[in-house]
Formats: sequence, C-alpha cells, structure tokens
Amino acid sequence: MNLFVEILRSSLASAIPVLLVALGGAYSFHANVFNIAMEGMMLTSAFTAVAISYATGSWVWGLVGGIAGSLVITLIFSFFILKLKTGEFITGIALNLFTTGATTYLLRQIFNVKGALISPKIVPLPRIDIPLIKDIPVLGTILSGQNILVYISLIIVVPLVFYQIYRSRMGLRLRATGFDSRAVDSVGIKSDPIKFQSLLICGLLCGLGGTALSLGYMSLFTENMAAGRGWIALAIIILTQGQPIGILLLSILFGVFEGVGLSLQNVGIPSQFTAMLPYISTIVALFIFSRQQKKKKSLAADL
Amino acid sequence: MQAENSFIRMESIVKIFPPSNVALDNVSVEIEEGKVHSFIGENGAGKSTLMKVLFGLEPATSGQIYIHGEKVNFHSPNDAVAKGIGMVHQEFMLIPSYTILENVILGYEDTNKIGLLDLNRSRKKLQALCDQMGFDVNLDEKVENYSVAIQQKVEIIKQLYREVNVLILDEPTAVLAPQEADELFKMVESLKAEGKTILFISHKLDEILQISDTVTVMRQGEHVWTKPNVGLTKTDLAEAMVGRSVLFTVEKTKIEHGEPVLELKNISLKSDKVAGRMLLDDVNLTVHEKEIVGVAGVEGNGQYELVQVVIGNQFPDEGTVSVLGSDISKDTIRSRRESISYISQDRKLAGSSQDDSIQDNAFMSHHYLNDSLVTKNKILDKGKIASFADELIKKYNVVCESRKAPIKSLSGGNQQKVIVGREFGLEHPLLVLDQPVRGLDVGSIEYIHSRIIEQRDAGAAVLLVSADLDELFSLSDRIIVMYKGKIVAERIPEDTTRNEIGGYMLGSIGDSQ
Repeated sequence: MNLFVEILRSSLASAIPVLLVALGGAYSFHANVFNIAMEGMMLTSAFTAVAISYATGSWVWGLVGGIAGSLVITLIFSFFILKLKTGEFITGIALNLFTTGATTYLLRQIFNVKGALISPKIVPLPRIDIPLIKDIPVLGTILSGQNILVYISLIIVVPLVFYQIYRSRMGLRLRATGFDSRAVDSVGIKSDPIKFQSLLICGLLCGLGGTALSLGYMSLFTENMAAGRGWIALAIIILTQGQPIGILLLSILFGVFEGVGLSLQNVGIPSQFTAMLPYISTIVALFIFSRQQKKKKSLAADL
Repeated sequence: MQAENSFIRMESIVKIFPPSNVALDNVSVEIEEGKVHSFIGENGAGKSTLMKVLFGLEPATSGQIYIHGEKVNFHSPNDAVAKGIGMVHQEFMLIPSYTILENVILGYEDTNKIGLLDLNRSRKKLQALCDQMGFDVNLDEKVENYSVAIQQKVEIIKQLYREVNVLILDEPTAVLAPQEADELFKMVESLKAEGKTILFISHKLDEILQISDTVTVMRQGEHVWTKPNVGLTKTDLAEAMVGRSVLFTVEKTKIEHGEPVLELKNISLKSDKVAGRMLLDDVNLTVHEKEIVGVAGVEGNGQYELVQVVIGNQFPDEGTVSVLGSDISKDTIRSRRESISYISQDRKLAGSSQDDSIQDNAFMSHHYLNDSLVTKNKILDKGKIASFADELIKKYNVVCESRKAPIKSLSGGNQQKVIVGREFGLEHPLLVLDQPVRGLDVGSIEYIHSRIIEQRDAGAAVLLVSADLDELFSLSDRIIVMYKGKIVAERIPEDTTRNEIGGYMLGSIGDSQ
C-alpha cells in the first residue's frame, strides 16, 4: 500500500516536466511548426535553473534562469526557421545535439564535476502543504507537499492553455496559421509573428518544464538530464493532436510508468530495463493509437 | 489629368518583376464609383497584377494611385482594406475545418473584456449581413461541407463584413458551373444596387458583356482601351485582347469513329479520406479510335480520379481498365506508358521537370520507348537527342532561346507545347488529356486544340477532361458529365446545350437513362 501511494506521489511530480513541455509544444503544433528542439530547450533550462539556483541561493532566480535558458535556445531556433527559413527538423536536431554538448561542457568547466551536480547549495522549488487535504490519508500524501510548479501547472497553466488555444483571438489565428498561413496572411494578419509568438510561449513553458525537472522533481543536474522527455512530449502532442486535456492525461500516464519503473528497481530488475518502461509505453501508445485510427476509418467506410 | 473627383485613379503604373519582366507597362485607368468595371485580357496580360497592386499585395515599381483625388500608398492588403478595398482571390483563402463564422471573423474578431472571443456578438452581426444579402447558410457549419460556389460567397461575405465598398473578384467564374455563375452575377447586381464598386477580372467574353458597365482590355502588360459596355461585341474584345482577329471555333470535320481503344468496366474507387464516399461509382466508358470524349463536371466530382485510374496512378477498388482489348488493370504506370499519352492538369506537379532543360523534358519517355535515341548499349545518344529536341521545338513553334534552357524559363504556353510535342510524338493509340490548355493564352489554346483534332484524325482515341464547357463543346465528339463519381449523362454536343450540361454538373437534373 505504501509503495503504491509512493509511486503515485512521485508520478505526479515526474509528470509535470513532460506536461509543461508538451503544453508548450501544443502551441507550435497548432502553428504547424515541427518543434523537435523542445528536448534541447528543456535540457538547457534544467541546467541554467540549477546553475543559477546554486549561484544565487534562490529558487526564484533559479526559475528565472531556467526560463531564460530555454528562451535563448528558442530565439536561436526561431531565428533560423523563421528568418533564415532553414528546415525545422535539421535545425532542431542540431540544437538538441548542441545543448547536450554545451550543458555537459559547462557542467564540467564551471562545477568541475562529471556526470552529476549534487549539492546542498542548490535551492529547490518550495514544497507546499495544502491545509485540509494534507490530513486526508492517501490522497493527502499524493497531492499535498508537492513542489510549487505542480500546483501552478495543474491549476493555472492547463486551463490557461486550453482557453488561449480554443477560445481566444490569438488561438483562432494560431490554429488558422497552422492550417494555411496564406489564408491568414490574406486577411492582413502576418503569420510569421504568430509563429514566433507561439514559439516564445513554447520556450517559456519548456523553461518551466526544465526547471520543474531539475529543481522540482529532483534537486540536481545530470548530464543529458532531459533523457528524451522532450521527445516523449512530442509523441504526446501528436497522439492528442495538441489538446491540453489529453496532454494532461497522457503526461500523468507517463509519470505513472516512470514511477512504476523506479519502484521495480527495488525488486531486482536492472535499472536500465526499468528506465525503458515509460518509453516503451509511449511506443505502444503510438501503435495502439494509429491502429484505432485505421479501424475507425475502415469501420466508417463499411457503413 | 481630368476629373479630380474620379473615384479610383491609377496613374502610370509600372510593375517590373526582376530581372526585367515588365508585367505592367505604364498603365493608367480610372474607375467610377458604383459600377461593375471588368478587366479582361489573356493570361500574363497584367490584369491580375494590376489588381494586386491596387490591393497592396504587390508594390508597384512606379506610378500612383488616387482615391477621391487623395494619393494613397498601400504597403499591405490591410492598408487597402482600411480604405474599403477587398479582394476575393482565385484560390480561396478559407480554413476548411473552421466554421463559416470563424472564417469570416478571422482577423476581425470581437472579444469580451477578458480577451476571449465573443462569438455571439460576431454571429449576430454576420447573420444580419447574410439576411440582408439573402444568403441562407448555417454559420456554425464547417466551410468544407459546402460547395465551391457557397465557399466563394463566404469569401465575398467575408469582405463585406470588413465593410469594403470596392470588391475585386479575380476570375470568380473559373470554378463555377453556368448556373452557379448566374447566381454569382445576381449577387454582383445586388451589391451594385447597394452602391458597391465591383472590379471583375475574367477572360470569358460572354460574361464580361453580360455584367459590365465598363470594360478595360489589357494586352502584354499594356492598357489597350477602356470603354463603356455599350454596343461592344465579343469580336471587339477578342481582337483587342489578342491584337489580331481570332477564330472562335476550331475547325473540325465529323468523322466516323473506329474500334474501341479504352474500355472502363464497372470502375469504383473509395475515398480514403472521407469514409463511405465514392470517388468513382460504377463508371463504364468506352473511347474509340478517331473519337474525342469530353468529360465535364464541377471540380472534385471524380474527373481527376478517372484520369488517375486510366494512367495507373491509382488502382480502382473494383472494375477493369482495358486498352485495345487487353486488360491493363494491374499494370504499372511504366508499362501503361507504352500505349497511353498523358497531359496532366498541373504541369509543375506532373509531366515536366521544371529545373531541367527543354531537351531533357522533350525526350523523357522517348528514351525508353524510342530506340533510335539510344545506342546499342542502351546509352543515351546525345547527338540524336539534340536533333530530336530541335525538331520538336521547330515543329511545335516553341519560343525559346535554345533547347538547353530550363523549361521553367518558358511561358506557360510554350512549356505546354513542349509537353504536348513529347506526348503526341509518342504516337500512342490513347491520349489522356486533363485540362490541357488550362491557364494558356488564346494563341496557344488555338494551336493545341488544332493539334488535338489532328491526333484524332490520325486515329487516336482521346479522353479530354476540361472545366471549360466551350472547350468541350468545340472539341468533343461526345460529352459525358460526372457528378459525385458517377457518369450522369452522355450527350452529342450538337444535341445539347451548355445549360443542360450545366444542370447535370450540378446534379440539378437527374438522368433517367
């Protein structure tokens, strides 16, 4: 029982970084920008958040640093694909490789450590106990005492993203840009600024995601810490067609599988295998999704 | 200059596309308020460019525009819209999966205090506008569920919603059946009655004469004349457009057709996008030697798929395709090329390699179908290929610098001549022509039409798909009409009318046969 509750508790915390990044990616998805640089944005912010938190001793500055780190990569990505019109895929791959190398290099140069930076000087995001709920058994353990970004994401970010994409003027224009940017240009709205705006929001959310990873879910930085979470987020976006509620559910599912994976280590399964679990489940989800799409089509065709 | 109070005055407009393509050569036009003013000319005459300059889409190289005597400088369509000028493009600028309401308000949204869309407020305004125009549609239905004609009206309403008083319509009837065009003209009339100014671009002479108050003719970037539409005739317009007298009908003698060449039996093809929709529904068709069969239909009713099934780009779910009695249903495109010549509706997508030279485009397919172009060891014979290309250029009057120039450097008409030369040169028994003269100038059209007749007379079976009823009536020995993937009518051109064919195209006449 205790183990089960513990898995759920850590699932929630581990779901949040993926959730934030995927919500960010939803913006570029709807603007029809194939943003695979999210992995690099997340990794960079995970690093800068830890570094700034370490240097200033403040989680607030750490959070700001995390967002800034991600935005730098976002600006480079935007400049290349919107101004120089380079391929999104190539640019994204290049940035992902660059950030892996750069964060590893800086980690070794600045902190003189290999592999991981673990230090009491890193001030993590504060954990918040929720009155009343914290006293409920089980539920209190799962929901209360999580880091602040967990609550911000669930209570503020998810609804905000939903309303902005589907109910606001910006969202109407954003989705129109994704469908046909010429149609948007023809009514006198410039589509490139809309794409840029969507990338900036994506960068901001990836910055929150990276920070939630290195200062929230954990309190350390390891080389290549994002570990494919940016790609998982991309898979989630494709599976849900960029719908915030679907993104929320699948992100939590990812978190659960990661939690299950971690606890399976305790029963003697090698960690390399357990670490595969969330990724395998993503591939399985993609497979099932595409099968169902096909089935739906052929079912409807037979009618 | 006279008339300070003229409504819109475009003065000495010059537009040069780099490096030295003069699209507009010192064009001056005055437009009166509350009139239907048509601009007519062949493709490349500059009429669309002139309108794009007026709409702020293309900056003029030099020249001025005055509205009510006040000089204006449009840098973007927004500036034009702010001055009350709207444009409906030939290609619709609609988001298919958005509702009519969402499409109309895009870029012009009402929002509430906290910045969310106020769709109810927008819907009320739009509903009032639609009621006023007598336009009865469900505003919350997706645009993709409506016909092209309705979509076009949505585009017009979209401009009216922006309170424009000048409406530019760029070849609006190109995508419509005759009855739909009449509907459009009614709408144009009622807009005019409300005091709107309509600028109407077309190259169809009849409709110009039908709806215009004033006509401006353009030719090769120059303004030929602007006259009130009083006592003008088709011949006046055509001669001004082309700069010489033109024949309106192709000379065609009636000949007896021969044996069947193409036979389609019970062809059906399901849509893989929309479940349950049939792109082709039990199509049976025979095209004989020495016969041109014209295929009419509103775009998207199966004509395109019919062609794809014949050339082997798509395999039908049911039915057989035979050429000269042998079943080719399972054959690849490559092997069908041994007996089928094909001209695609979009030469940029299929039928030419735009970056390659005229020569390379000319001998494609000939390199394996014509043994005289390769050596014994199957190596391309450069010398022979060069003279082959030169011959084609000469025979088909292709205007070009040399055979080595890239095909994309040629005008559309000349590109098409190269393709026609290559395909007809294969001397195949079956020609599949999908809109072979779309977007070409009158001169090239005349020329290609006469070559098609020539091929028929020499014994070819011709399947001709066209969106232009005039073309079908002047070339075809038999016209079939496709509607929702079915052949709904089959007529001899002499025994039918454009209106009857149009009725079948729209599905408003059912066929009892």
